[in-house]
Amino acid sequence: MSSDTLLSVTGLKVHFPIKRGVVFDKTIGHVYAVDGVDLEIRRGETYGLVGESGCGKSTLGRAILRLEEITDGSVVFDGEDLAPLRGEALRRRRQDLQMVFQDPLSSLDPRQSVQSLLVEGMKAHGLTADKEATRARLRELMAAVGLPEAALSKYPHEFSGGQRQRIGIARALSVNPSLIVADEPVSALDVSVQAQVINLLESLQESLGLTFLVIAHDLAVVRHISDRVGVMYLGGLVEEADADSLYATPLHPYTRALMSAVPIPDPVVEDTREQILLTGDLPSPAAPPSGCRFHTRCPWKQAERCDTERPELRVVEIDGVPASHRVACHYAEQIASGKLQPHQVEPELVVPLEAEVPVDLGP
Amino acid sequence: MSEPLLSVRDLKVTFTRQGAEPFHAVDGVSFDVRPGQTVGLVGESGCGKSVTSLAIMGLLPRRGNSVSGQVMFEGTDLLGLSDKQMRERRGRDLGMIFQDPLSSLNPVVSIGVQVAEVVQRHRQVSKSVAMEEARAMLDKVGIPDPRRRLREYPHQLSGGMRQRALIAMALACRPRLLIADEPTTALDVTIQAQILALLKDLVSESDTALVMITHDLGVVAGMCDDVNVLYGGRLVERNMRHDLFAAPAHPYTNGLLGSIPRLDSARGEPLDPIPGSVSDNLPWAESCAFAPRCPSAAPDCLASSPELVPHGGGGTDGEGALRCFHPVVPAEVAR
Amino acid sequence: MNLMSSKKERIDSLAASVAEVEVAEAGTVKDTGGESLIAGAWRRLRRNPIFLIGLTLTALFVLLAIISPWLAPWDPAAQPLIDKVERQSNPVPGPEPGHPLGGDNRGRDLLSRVLIGSQQTLVVGVVATLIGLSGGLVLGTVAGAFGGWADALVMRVVDVMLSIPGLLLAFSLAALAARPSQWTVIIAIAIVQIPIFARLLRGSMLAQRHSDHVLAARALGVRPSLIVMRHMLPNSMGPVIVQSTLVVATSIIDAAALSFLGLGNPDDRRPEWGQMLGASQQYLNEHPHLAFWPAGCIIVVALGFTLMGESLREALDPKTRR
Repeated sequence: MSSDTLLSVTGLKVHFPIKRGVVFDKTIGHVYAVDGVDLEIRRGETYGLVGESGCGKSTLGRAILRLEEITDGSVVFDGEDLAPLRGEALRRRRQDLQMVFQDPLSSLDPRQSVQSLLVEGMKAHGLTADKEATRARLRELMAAVGLPEAALSKYPHEFSGGQRQRIGIARALSVNPSLIVADEPVSALDVSVQAQVINLLESLQESLGLTFLVIAHDLAVVRHISDRVGVMYLGGLVEEADADSLYATPLHPYTRALMSAVPIPDPVVEDTREQILLTGDLPSPAAPPSGCRFHTRCPWKQAERCDTERPELRVVEIDGVPASHRVACHYAEQIASGKLQPHQVEPELVVPLEAEVPVDLGP
Repeated sequence: MSEPLLSVRDLKVTFTRQGAEPFHAVDGVSFDVRPGQTVGLVGESGCGKSVTSLAIMGLLPRRGNSVSGQVMFEGTDLLGLSDKQMRERRGRDLGMIFQDPLSSLNPVVSIGVQVAEVVQRHRQVSKSVAMEEARAMLDKVGIPDPRRRLREYPHQLSGGMRQRALIAMALACRPRLLIADEPTTALDVTIQAQILALLKDLVSESDTALVMITHDLGVVAGMCDDVNVLYGGRLVERNMRHDLFAAPAHPYTNGLLGSIPRLDSARGEPLDPIPGSVSDNLPWAESCAFAPRCPSAAPDCLASSPELVPHGGGGTDGEGALRCFHPVVPAEVAR
Repeated sequence: MNLMSSKKERIDSLAASVAEVEVAEAGTVKDTGGESLIAGAWRRLRRNPIFLIGLTLTALFVLLAIISPWLAPWDPAAQPLIDKVERQSNPVPGPEPGHPLGGDNRGRDLLSRVLIGSQQTLVVGVVATLIGLSGGLVLGTVAGAFGGWADALVMRVVDVMLSIPGLLLAFSLAALAARPSQWTVIIAIAIVQIPIFARLLRGSMLAQRHSDHVLAARALGVRPSLIVMRHMLPNSMGPVIVQSTLVVATSIIDAAALSFLGLGNPDDRRPEWGQMLGASQQYLNEHPHLAFWPAGCIIVVALGFTLMGESLREALDPKTRR
């Protein structure tokens, strides 16, 4: 691990037991929400994690924050493995890793004024000893997120969605974290307000030297805000690259499909571009396919290896693709060179998880 | 150009609540939809796009609101029809697809029965014929193994399949007009692409008219022939898709385009957001509602209310329309 | 009118400063407000006639309980009409000057007993509710905050208690007591309420446990005990508060039922409405007024608490906000 690495995740697995039973719950299987993820985030960069619902991106984010029980693997933050931390040691450590939530209203306690929401975290980490300093800090936080000081005495329900998200960001900043995990920070907001929050996150990063892990389903948002992007599919990373390289040369068939599916607000582009339409749905994470998780929907699926051997993230030797661009596909080179052509895929029937398992999978 | 199938004129929906001021959710919206055409209603939350669609379908609650204006469908004013007449129209002439497919399907009735019911309600056919029709519909909307799916219940289908089933229900009687209210917002992008492609095919092969209600300008860019941009219950700009995106004239339209990060544009530039939120709106009656958030607002924007005037090239009436005193000049167009 | 003029002012002030017409990027924050949810609920309640009726009835009842010693013309245990009681011909003395409601079967002044009875009734209703509430709070908090086996254990006990019909459980508990007294009645009723409160609280605590704002507090590093006390409990209390007001009413009715079946407090020197109702049953046919007054009082008071509870439920329901 190089010295400028802030967070290093190795072999991370989060499996939720599926329980069933009348008197005693019996574990009848697992949901493999995160199933073997390695990633590194450098100090001061924004790492974007993109994927569709059910791919495990939110669970991964929460596991890094230790808000989800880690089944296996390590989360080394600033040289210390967080996975074995418990109790008070973990609580103290939380100061350095903060979270911004998707739904700004539900993530703010409706009974607390903005001031008490902001002071709470500071108090928990002993940052409120000096009253004057605390007040100055509160003013600073409000200024940083672009809200008037008068907002301190108000309650969450009195703000608009964008303003609430600013409060959520101010709360995350209140304890001086070095890493902020933002889980779908703009997807609950109106389009015009999304841009405000994206800009705010970017300017905060610049002025405070923060490191971000931004989790989102919107590839355009992720690409805009991130330095590096990881694409997740069914519990694992399938591709990781610098944002520009990923867009210029997407290597994994899933990334290609995902990118071609994102609508672009320009009729000229929309009318001319080729779409790779995936057939079928995401397989159930309780029974992931063998081999490459994507092989059931992959238009480039080959008879060999794809359904037997799970590909690792690897560097490929393709012209114009830097070494930082890694992909988990056995045939990435052949697909990129056009040697392999896409073919029709018969959609497989997928039973949604909730139909199989009548349990809630945690928050 | 063919005659409009649906012609909405000066539609107003006002919500009245005891003790509160009346709220004009839709405030004089007019637009036309022709057979085989896809018309977009675009705007953010609270712009009145969903209320417009519910008013057209006659699905607004009977109490607490007043609806005025005209909704002409093939020469009949739908607003003048009785509940019973309207029920007959829905499903037969007018179909609707909602955002959340799970809550729009009955959880305790199998998919097949739900689709067949629609067929039977409007056509005098036997149960087995209706069921066969339902199977054909499911097949048409791309549900694999439709015979088996007929017997399954909504919770046994994935989100994308549910939305397909809902489309099958809406199209079961081959309505002339289909209203899709955020049909893909709850779905993932790869599934969204499937559903949008499906809708496009269905519209082009059956000459159905489609009203597409969405907040996503990307979806609009790929789907709609005509685009109506709504803000605060009023139409602020209308134009043909290419013209609208190439030369947005209303500062709000332009602001929306500047707010969205695009997958195909250069990175590193900060976005150009619209400041404030809908709660900063002024009343339309005496000013431009958008003025407080508008970069080109001037004193006249606050003193009087701009009218919707013809503007630019195309549009449903052969002309675009714009409601602004100070339209965006080409130099200010986002990107 | 007021709103219109403020709009005008806003437009004018905006027009005056066209140079800076743009709103701050985050949008404007209303100058008014700073109103907490509780304050908002109270504002709505104050305008709700149903709540006001309930509140008035309840307040009158409490006031009556406080000042009844001064209102009552006689000591409730004294027997001024004992001479008028004839076992066979006139077991219950009728109204006469100085005794507007007449007397009971022991020659005690009925009016005084009804007035003074409000005290014990209030005590039974409130104390039984408080005991039930605190028991339920403890169990519900343990189950809801810790989850896991603590939850499983508590909830199984609660399920067993809930599977026995409430009144039947109260009867059995009251019958178990060696020497029935006011306290056995209160405790029997309270114990029946504990599982109801526990279940209610545990349900909303569990929902809170999975809520984003509790997750946010965990992520902030707030101490677990503080999360329970500051975030989970306060946000779970709405339905519990509503239930409490309703339980006061049912407690009073349950106490009456216990007394009616002879499981109440045998010591009737300090009367209680339920107990008076119970004692009146043997004269119900000939002298229904003996039952009418305590029963009427119980109905009115229960109605008061119920109206208050139902309108509270409405006011605290987030769906009705704004």
